[in-house]
Amino acid sequence: MKGTPPLHHNCLNWILRLLVGGAFVFAGALKIADPAKFAVDVSNYRLVPHELINLVAILVPWIEVTAGSFVLAGIWLRAAALVITSLTVMFFAVIVSALARGLNIECGCFGTVGGKHVGLVNLAIDATLFSLAALLARRSKDCPAKEIFREAGAQNSAPPR
Amino acid sequence: MSSWLRASLPQALILVLLGAGLGLAANQISPRGLPLITPPKQAYKAEAFIALDQAKQLWHRSAALFLDAREPADYAAGHIGNALNLPAQSFAQHFGKIAPMLTLESPLILYCDGPDCELSHRLRESLRQLGYTNTHLLFNGWTAWRQAGLPTSPGGQQ
Repeated sequence: MKGTPPLHHNCLNWILRLLVGGAFVFAGALKIADPAKFAVDVSNYRLVPHELINLVAILVPWIEVTAGSFVLAGIWLRAAALVITSLTVMFFAVIVSALARGLNIECGCFGTVGGKHVGLVNLAIDATLFSLAALLARRSKDCPAKEIFREAGAQNSAPPR
Repeated sequence: MSSWLRASLPQALILVLLGAGLGLAANQISPRGLPLITPPKQAYKAEAFIALDQAKQLWHRSAALFLDAREPADYAAGHIGNALNLPAQSFAQHFGKIAPMLTLESPLILYCDGPDCELSHRLRESLRQLGYTNTHLLFNGWTAWRQAGLPTSPGGQQ
């Protein structure tokens, strides 16, 4: 990665953060709005032990929203992008497993975005998010919260031209 | 392990724990919260099933709603007369259309096809999670109904 400029504080960085963070906040919020439906979606994959289905349905959306929010805010950016990268790897494996077993089920990923049933479109969306999140994790420069607030304060106190 | 990864891992762990904590807290206070441990599946004992004769009587009296748990294509090919399609595989997507016709006490006859078919069991579980408990399974539903010469709708008329 030597010689590669960090993505921090440039336009591409903002776009990536908006795409990745926004997608995960959106996806998580959909699931949080209807946890019982997401529990059914999780159950349909037949991968999680029955007793743990609700717990997964409760925890995963909030981890998505938390990581997505931190990416959007640019706080602990690399760590948040790392969490999202890991989630996309997990989702990819789960979707591949469902397709391999011929399950004709709802994805439970982004509502009806990407089709009603789990399929290659979901895999493509997941792979894209993985690539973007990995890019953020690898090339972003971490910006501690105090630095962000200092910058914001400096901008607010700058004299008008 | 590269230095950025080593530095980010503890933060990533904190984020996961933070998200998990928020999830547990939100679930605790939300009216739509779920039990942390999924309630055990009901064992499908004999009382979960309804006899064909009894189902036939309910059908003739229009005293129960028949729900076909199979996929829409199978339903379109033929189904029990007046039955509605609520595919177990895409329950959430279709339930909104059926819900206005139900009350929590509505007698529901659920069926799919074949002695090993699990779709009606899964539909029953999905309905049970939403509070619909007056559900009955019709064993080997479509085949049994058709073979008994009972009323069917498009594709399955005999």
